[in-house]
Amino acid sequence: MGAALSISSLFGKLFGSKEVRILMLGLDAAGKTTILYKLKLNQTMTTIPTVGFNVETFTYKNIKFNMWDVGGQDKIRPLWRHYYSGTQGLVFVVDSSDHARIEEAKTELHRILNDLEMSDCLLLVFANKQDLDGAMDPQTITQKLELSKLKERPWFVQPAIATEGEGLTEGFGWLSDNIKKMPKYGGK
Amino acid sequence: MDRTSDPSFKGKAASTGTGESSQHSSLSANVQPRYNAAARRPRKLRSQYPRGNTENHVEYILVASFDIDRGPVMEHQYPVAITGDEHMLAELMLPDQAHVRNQDWTIFFLHKDTSQEEDDAERRAKEERRARRNRRRDRAKGIIHESDDEDEEDGDLDDDDWDDDESTDSEPEGIEGPPLVYVLNLVNTKQDKTVKRGAPLLLLALEEYFKSPVPETLAMLYNAVNEMDLSLMPRLSHLERHLLQASENKDLFVEKFEEMIQARIIENSGVGVDQPLDASIAPPKRPSIFRSGSKAHIEGHAAYVVPRDTHEFESKVLYKGIPIPIKVPVAVMPEIVGDFSLIKLIQNFSDSHAKTPQTFPLHPHLTTNGPNTNPIIVLINALLTQKRVIFLGHNMPSGEVAEAVLAACALASGGILRGFTRYAFPYTDLTKVDDLLKVPGFIAGVTNPTFELHPEWWDLLCDLPSGKMKISSKIEAAPITEGLVYFQQQNPVYANLVHNPSSGSSSGDLTGDAAFMADIQRCITTRGGERVIRAKWRAWVLKFTRIAAAFEESVYGASALYIGSDEQEANMSGAHGHGYVWVDEATKARELAGNVTRIEGWRNTRSYYSFIQDVAQLYTIRPLKGLDLAHLHDRLRTQRLTPMQSKEIYDTLAKYVHSYDEICLLLSVAPEASAGLFYIALGLFHKDRDVRFKTADLLERVAEHEAGQHWWRALSRFEKLAYVRIKREAEAEARAKVDKEERDGFSPVDKRAS
Repeated sequence: MGAALSISSLFGKLFGSKEVRILMLGLDAAGKTTILYKLKLNQTMTTIPTVGFNVETFTYKNIKFNMWDVGGQDKIRPLWRHYYSGTQGLVFVVDSSDHARIEEAKTELHRILNDLEMSDCLLLVFANKQDLDGAMDPQTITQKLELSKLKERPWFVQPAIATEGEGLTEGFGWLSDNIKKMPKYGGK
Repeated sequence: MDRTSDPSFKGKAASTGTGESSQHSSLSANVQPRYNAAARRPRKLRSQYPRGNTENHVEYILVASFDIDRGPVMEHQYPVAITGDEHMLAELMLPDQAHVRNQDWTIFFLHKDTSQEEDDAERRAKEERRARRNRRRDRAKGIIHESDDEDEEDGDLDDDDWDDDESTDSEPEGIEGPPLVYVLNLVNTKQDKTVKRGAPLLLLALEEYFKSPVPETLAMLYNAVNEMDLSLMPRLSHLERHLLQASENKDLFVEKFEEMIQARIIENSGVGVDQPLDASIAPPKRPSIFRSGSKAHIEGHAAYVVPRDTHEFESKVLYKGIPIPIKVPVAVMPEIVGDFSLIKLIQNFSDSHAKTPQTFPLHPHLTTNGPNTNPIIVLINALLTQKRVIFLGHNMPSGEVAEAVLAACALASGGILRGFTRYAFPYTDLTKVDDLLKVPGFIAGVTNPTFELHPEWWDLLCDLPSGKMKISSKIEAAPITEGLVYFQQQNPVYANLVHNPSSGSSSGDLTGDAAFMADIQRCITTRGGERVIRAKWRAWVLKFTRIAAAFEESVYGASALYIGSDEQEANMSGAHGHGYVWVDEATKARELAGNVTRIEGWRNTRSYYSFIQDVAQLYTIRPLKGLDLAHLHDRLRTQRLTPMQSKEIYDTLAKYVHSYDEICLLLSVAPEASAGLFYIALGLFHKDRDVRFKTADLLERVAEHEAGQHWWRALSRFEKLAYVRIKREAEAEARAKVDKEERDGFSPVDKRAS
């Protein structure tokens, strides 16, 4: 799989195949790895904390997604910036039931988006764990994350239950539609 | 005239055709020289790890874990904490994606600093060690401490050794600065119940630690490893180490192991361990010595065992009653660390290149044979010119990228150059990237493919899964140096060959690297073995340094890469000259033209400067200082010499090569793997009788030499017969002379008569 991936990234640029780089970030235990493997394998896996990162490719709506899932422990968050370059879409995952850390999530999100290398990328927020008691709805999440402050950037909040796969295709549907509109991608 | 010139060569060969075998066998009893213990090196044989030495095999044992809230944390350090950033250490110990693997290993290097704090910790550790050794000594005397429940037989993790050495030896050990601490690291994910591989001792210990995660578990491992007795492993001199390393022979220096054991048997017989030896007391019953793997050894009759291959000292560890076999390399060379395979590294990149040749963007330091330069050559050029090299193994265990890094260090070093492992990061990840980028020129192993997306972080990226290398689009251009300009001015005819892509094509293989790689490939296909490949690379690196010296002398007028002045050479009568030998000046100019750019890129690197220091240091202990034996031997090997010229060389060799060390030096310039003594033995067929006699005497000295006996044995039957014939001739002449003297009525006859 490693070989296949590096060859595709080598020739991807040559033949203009439709591979997009997606970076998935969020606080620890938000459900990032669960989302990745639900999308890739359509399986609910019991995950353990990610040491470093996971990366997988999968195709959805004719677009090849090269998706990076990077560990979220606060100690390793400073490493996120190394994954920015070349990223076309940011998937930010929030544990909707974690009221205590939604403020922390907001700070991290805005820090990411303020980086120069992320200035052109799309933002998809998964308001995950909607099945848990006291989960905040998408409107509350939008408000708490202060997404209205984002001006030019296209963004979208999608409620989700990653373990069930609910909301994931909808989220990626939005992402693929908007990617096709990006100038880099040949859209207008 | 031919260098093998001997007018009667063919005739004699034909005449000895009959009765050859009987002549041979009868002579092997009389004339043929035998290894002679009396003609041994004058030095007393010493142990690499003498008994009672305070040096440890393992200094620290660390345990780190990935905490669900805090990330990597250090759990325990034994016997004392290493100073420095504990968090960083914990990060180093837990490779990226450890969560997707059951087991993995890495190796990393820590640079020991000499701060006060460290000294204190070191002192405490030393006291601890001393106490332990005392305990062991007591035990050897029969005193049993209550806390001791382990066996005396212990082992070693050969990578965990300190790099330093008590410098009581007359030989310099290198000027690397503070010693490197090698950390062999095993990672286990707790769910693991599967395969066992990697360092078995660490694996057992880690399993034990999962059962009882307390410092006592670490203490048990620490003591088990450190109480090992390697005192029967002989210490080799610099030249001996080189000979052993370059040789395939499993018996080379076996006498030293036997001698160590004999000394031990005498030491242990009758007299107390710590009392002075009394050689007059004969041991009542001598324990027997056997070769490892022999019948007697397997049946358990042998008290002491000589290794079946002298390259490895065999030992075993008893950890919690489980014997773990361990092999410790006898000839440790600088920069050769860990258990790696050059063959694996070469195949990883060359095989893919052979199937679909890679076309590199040109860079004068790297693509010395043009856009189709073999990737392994691109790699070694990158290392020699101190580029930033990354090995990327996405989805690979960190142990595999670490292995590639260690192999690359060994490739560029050849056991000759230094400065690679010190700047190697066998496994690193994004957490250390900021620090990594502060290092000018490094070799790093990573598993995170993000590195590929940052060409500003590296100059050469070696992708292990695909076997492809990439030269960075952001690599710094090679500067136009004075040396390059001078060379072009001095050699206008060859100026346009310097880093000219078309001249580097296979038809015009100026560097010889294409031919060299083809030879390496052939050797791998015919199962030449790791040791042969290492010896060949070693020869490549040596040749590179010698070509660089020749280049500097021709362009700058002097070189610090070779010590020895014309004056000194003139002081020794006989043949002189030094440096690399070419067939003719045109060949020399072409090969220099092919090498100019990478030589200029090598100058001013760490490995260049440390090589200059090493050359100076080794010079102080080198025998035959005014003589470049390699040069003389290479002239015999490559040039067409007149009988007069070859006579001069043979005379010089015969005149100066006598002592144990001098013969070692001669053997080192005539490695078994190439032609051995072949070109020296050609002196047996020289047209000058005197040369034939002197060469026979020289070969006799070599054959009686501990290492030389193996070189002698490799000579062809034809050469051995010539030797025998000459020896007989000499004897006959001597007898005739005596007879003549007797007939002529000199004193001995007179005395008898009276």
